[in-house]
Amino acid sequence: MASIHLSGLTKFYGKRRGVEDVSLQVGDQEFLTVFGPAGAGKTTTLNLIAGIVTPDRGSIRIGEKTVDPLEPADRNVAMVFESYALYPQFTVYQNMAFPLRSPKHCLPAAEVEQRVRHFATMLKIDHLLERQIQALSNGQRQRTALGRALVRRPDVFLMDEPLSHLDAKLRHSMRAELKEMRGQLGTTTIYVTHDYLEAMSLGDRVAVINQGRILQVGTPEEVYFQPTTVEVAKLFGDPEINLIEAKIRSRQSTSVRVQALGEDWSFPITPEIGSALDKLTGENVQLGFRPADVTVGVNGNSSLHGVVYSFEPLGTKSVLTIDSVAGQRVRALVDGHRTFQVDRRIEFSVPSASLIFFDPESTRYLIRSTRTEGED
Amino acid sequence: MAELILKTLTKVYTQAQSAAVDELNLGVRDGEFIALLGPSGCGKSTTLRMVAGLESVTSGEIRIGNKLVNDLHPKDRGVGLAFENYALYPPLKVRDNLAFNLRAHGLGAKEINRRVDEIARTLQIQELLDLKPAALSSGQKQRVNMARAMVRRPSVLLLDEPLSHLDARLRVELRTEIKRLHAEQRFTTVIVTHDQLEAMALADRIAVMNEGKLQQFDTPLEVFNHPANEFVAGFLGEPPMNIFRTAVADSRRLVIPDTDFALPIMPAIQKLVGSRKELKLGIRPWGIRVSQTQTDGAVPGVVVVVEDLGDETRVGIRYGEVLIMSSIPVTRRYRPGLPVFLNFNEEDLNLFDPMTGERLSDGSDSSNQPYENAAENEIQAPVSR
Repeated sequence: MASIHLSGLTKFYGKRRGVEDVSLQVGDQEFLTVFGPAGAGKTTTLNLIAGIVTPDRGSIRIGEKTVDPLEPADRNVAMVFESYALYPQFTVYQNMAFPLRSPKHCLPAAEVEQRVRHFATMLKIDHLLERQIQALSNGQRQRTALGRALVRRPDVFLMDEPLSHLDAKLRHSMRAELKEMRGQLGTTTIYVTHDYLEAMSLGDRVAVINQGRILQVGTPEEVYFQPTTVEVAKLFGDPEINLIEAKIRSRQSTSVRVQALGEDWSFPITPEIGSALDKLTGENVQLGFRPADVTVGVNGNSSLHGVVYSFEPLGTKSVLTIDSVAGQRVRALVDGHRTFQVDRRIEFSVPSASLIFFDPESTRYLIRSTRTEGED
Repeated sequence: MAELILKTLTKVYTQAQSAAVDELNLGVRDGEFIALLGPSGCGKSTTLRMVAGLESVTSGEIRIGNKLVNDLHPKDRGVGLAFENYALYPPLKVRDNLAFNLRAHGLGAKEINRRVDEIARTLQIQELLDLKPAALSSGQKQRVNMARAMVRRPSVLLLDEPLSHLDARLRVELRTEIKRLHAEQRFTTVIVTHDQLEAMALADRIAVMNEGKLQQFDTPLEVFNHPANEFVAGFLGEPPMNIFRTAVADSRRLVIPDTDFALPIMPAIQKLVGSRKELKLGIRPWGIRVSQTQTDGAVPGVVVVVEDLGDETRVGIRYGEVLIMSSIPVTRRYRPGLPVFLNFNEEDLNLFDPMTGERLSDGSDSSNQPYENAAENEIQAPVSR
């Protein structure tokens, strides 16, 4: 068991930036997800911790120990890859027992057996131990790969997109099961993914990374509801967050009137939002709101107008794309039972409580309205 | 534009044990958008290739606008085809890529220019016309690719996984554009995809295929809400439908043996259960409401997983081997270890035969008609001689 400290980790591949100045603290037994698009520097970060890649600058501490001079085998970290890297000619048992039979561990047979069975049971593959790898489904292979990492009882787990090879259906159920097992593992884990649902579901905290730099580290709730930049906001959610430019027309202490989407629009604000707006240099503010927060066909004083551009049912929910008065498109996620005709005029509104305010100059987060807890 | 009819369309590859496409019946109405949906190897691409004329037909008929096209050359079938990979001619400008097939058909330069400009407007690629493919982004390439398939004004537009090479953001964007384009142009369109969201979003009707056989052919909501069998139920929907085996106890309750799971058999499904001893129960995560107060018919359980996903919360409850997931509005109320009660929404229950996987139905449910019927009705008129 150990905490992990990364300070100022930098790695360039020639001129190409792998990661730059990555500093992160991962608490003992914490599960941190590292989330970003392809090429963001996620895998480089993992490889640096594992010792597979040597940094240009920066330092890594695991527990109390600086591991920079240590060989990968001496860092007591276990990696789980996207590709399972199992020995195809071996059984599940042989694959899982393999690391324990290496010269480094060289455990007595009874201890090996006990550990393999313990983790096989946890992973629900205890009935498959004598099976050859070829005879397994993808999900079972992934469990075996996890099992092989678990039996070593490493200080740190490094997981590189372990679910991304699975089909969508299996990915959802494996994700839930992995989360369920997390409590029993109690091992400090860094988990790399490009899937925002995985990042939010599994992580105690999420480190958002892009182009080799950390953009934000926070709880899933923080990165989703209080993204530090527009860039972070766009990485979470499907469909993407709506971002609109609003011109501030007038301001009272408890409300603000803006022009946005080609219409006049006023909504209540808190004193905190008021002082955040004071910091703006221009008279514009950028507003972000998630498609699920848009209410369609509701009359009210904040009603906006538009025309249905496209309607895409997805089952439980449907994506409605609206051409606003100003022509800018707004996406709404609506209940799957409702249908909308293309080119029909509709009214919609955005609850002020769901608005996230960004500085249009710096694209940095200013503040958001207070969210009220959903009731069931 | 024209209707497209497939009648007992079959493809058997010489060395293969079973048919790649097995007696497929489908009727696509004039102007309709249908999706061929299924996992890799289900026969969807083979079907499209047979329609395009790129693959020979073992038996059965392909009719476009009531004309048998089985033996026609691809270019004489009146189909426009856009592949997953763009296959644009690299040395040619976009304009010439679009004009290429029109020139091959001997159209005059003026008419060609008119058509190219028109389709470029439609697909919003006017400013790309003088660029070469290498200068285009993948999203732009796919637009050009589609424009090239449409510029000939085909009777039937065939799209083979046109979005699957694109990144997530672009995929959603172009999906919306294709949907909009179809609403405006009403091309008879067949799209092949393995992405159920794409099929749901775009198609008027979805033909779900597995192992060469048609599983169901119906509107997206019908396929989603009343899947004809366990395969269809499992293939559509994200997060996936909860599907698990239950035993019938004293003909009053559905139970997962050796667990606390016991769901009273509601009047609505009594007839379906009949004298069965066992069946599979399917319910989507949104069909289960989680509550801390006990109500009539609620199933007790303990929370083992909570996933906070921003706009929704997913809660997992375990019964032995079965992990049941429920999707609820965002709330911070649930934590692992918390005892809860599950309320199963009657309308969202799906029952399947545990052996065949077929949906159990009392006959009032339209989706349970033999699945060929939807296509058969379409076929009757034009095919009868």
